[in-house]
Amino acid sequence: MTDRAASHIDRVSELFGGTKRKRRVIESPEGVALTVGVATRGERLYAFLIDILLMFVIIFCLYALFIPLFFSRADIPVGMTLILFLVFIVRNLYFLHFELAWQGRTPGKRICGLRVINRYGGELSPSAVIARNLTREVEFFLPVSLFLSLGDHAGAAASLAALGWVLAIAALPLFNRDNLRAGDLIGGTMVISTPRRALSGDLSLTAQDAGREAVHSFTREQLAVYGAFELQVLEELLRSPPNRDSDRVLSGACDKIRLKIGWADEIPPGEVRRFLSDFYAAERDELERGQLFGRIRADKTAAPPTQPRN
Amino acid sequence: MITLRSAEFRRAREHAWLRLDEMVSLAERKGIGALSADEAQEIARLYRSASSSLSVARNIALDRNLILYLENLTLRAYLVVYGPRIGALQSLAVFFTGGFPKAVRKLVKHLAIVSAAMLIGLAAGYALVSADAENFSSLVPGSLAGGRGVNSTREELLSDELFAEWPGFVDTFVVFANSLFRHNAIVGVFSFGLGFALGVPTLLLVVYNGAVLGAFMALHAAKGLAVDFVGWIAIHGVTEILAILLCAAAGLSIAETVIFPGDLSRPASLALRGREAAGVAAGAVALFFIAGFIEGGFRQLIASTPGRYAFALATAALWALYFTRAGASDD
Repeated sequence: MTDRAASHIDRVSELFGGTKRKRRVIESPEGVALTVGVATRGERLYAFLIDILLMFVIIFCLYALFIPLFFSRADIPVGMTLILFLVFIVRNLYFLHFELAWQGRTPGKRICGLRVINRYGGELSPSAVIARNLTREVEFFLPVSLFLSLGDHAGAAASLAALGWVLAIAALPLFNRDNLRAGDLIGGTMVISTPRRALSGDLSLTAQDAGREAVHSFTREQLAVYGAFELQVLEELLRSPPNRDSDRVLSGACDKIRLKIGWADEIPPGEVRRFLSDFYAAERDELERGQLFGRIRADKTAAPPTQPRN
Repeated sequence: MITLRSAEFRRAREHAWLRLDEMVSLAERKGIGALSADEAQEIARLYRSASSSLSVARNIALDRNLILYLENLTLRAYLVVYGPRIGALQSLAVFFTGGFPKAVRKLVKHLAIVSAAMLIGLAAGYALVSADAENFSSLVPGSLAGGRGVNSTREELLSDELFAEWPGFVDTFVVFANSLFRHNAIVGVFSFGLGFALGVPTLLLVVYNGAVLGAFMALHAAKGLAVDFVGWIAIHGVTEILAILLCAAAGLSIAETVIFPGDLSRPASLALRGREAAGVAAGAVALFFIAGFIEGGFRQLIASTPGRYAFALATAALWALYFTRAGASDD
């Protein structure tokens, strides 16, 4: 049943042109299935570039602190070594620190609304974070340093072969459905997108909030036409902010519903929202009641529930 | 008037959800440390009740916004409640006093294999260079040879290498130690990462490292400096070679998991064993760090072969103690 509920929620998102984000289900330790949206490769690349930029800034600032120390000695090799050493320490501690302190988010991931989670639904352990970030050294920083040192030695062919291999590992996210990189495979992690959702008002109560009774009432036959999918499409329409476009869409939907359920009376333009809200509340009541008794109706094409006797 | 059961259900619990939302948002903004102990308990309790609300809502409600909100809230709360609880430094401390030596103890078999591979390389390198000294230059790249080769005289090796003058504090501890550390750490991490390629490149890298060592040994042995050379290399080599072997063993364990995933799926068993293997490699990087300092600094300070042997034996004993005893009490 949960699957079915989730599936028409997805269908509604698709209908309204939300991102075609891949979804995975992980199970929390309490046994509740949680649907997560897999981060796209573009988002992850973007987050990574932000992180790289920030690391440059950090390294630059650290170095600027030490510059006076070395200008007095004019000791360039020492300065260079210090930079290299700082780069090594900063890039290794940066990801480790932020992913631990901010529950799986680096500044770049935070800006992009991404998070590292345990792919199998458990706790995100420090060892998993260490594992996924140590592998980054091999996946990214090593190919870069290899590429930069290419041509230094006679063994260019060997370097090229190594580079090819390492690039193949770097391209791993392109070849699996969860966009996992090698570090995710080793750490048992994945990166998901966690946008924040707000809780809007309950539409079945808006009529009452406005201090009035439902003015339209519907028969059970009329309510038996539609299923959960159509109900949730109607919900989306009713939740869209009122403007000329949405008014047009709503009156179109109103005409369709009237035709389908055989509602003879004309609905004046000013009454459309009220009619649809009443229909929504009645339909939701009907479908939820049916669901309590195990009569689940996914959409209008599903077999109609056996008619209850009055 | 219609009052839906799902609307009733929502009205009774909405306050708790919004309270949870507030606390989760705070923890997301400022970290879990921003919550007091009481709040941390409350967030865990509210999370459990929200996740049961979600299960109920999925069964009784058709309000799309409500279900999506609860799903999102539960997920966000779950990530806070089951997120990492300790910071980077603390987790490193926990790691080095327990996780690392324990993980190493599990890799004894792999360590034996890579040690054998290194010995084979060592013997091969030694034999090749002993047979024909010209082989040295083809075996050891110029950057590693550092001007040493067939034509080096015994005196050159003694004064420029084995007992070279101490170049001063900054040059040894800052410049030289760092460049050695970075070079070695990259080699180590590389041999670990290549475990993904089913371990063959890892083993080749170890054999090659052994061969280079063997070649140097033969070069010095030919000039009658074998004993001094071993002292010169062992003072830091005990630590450094151990680190190389640990990285390679970890890479091999990754390879083993990829080839023989056992009862679990390949990704699942990789996640299970890979974490430990990566931990071993991360710990080895720390060993490289220590080895870099010994090699860059202490080696030329201790300018006597017996002193170097003593130092090498002391570090060997220390490592043996650390890897067999540390964290063993809670095994």
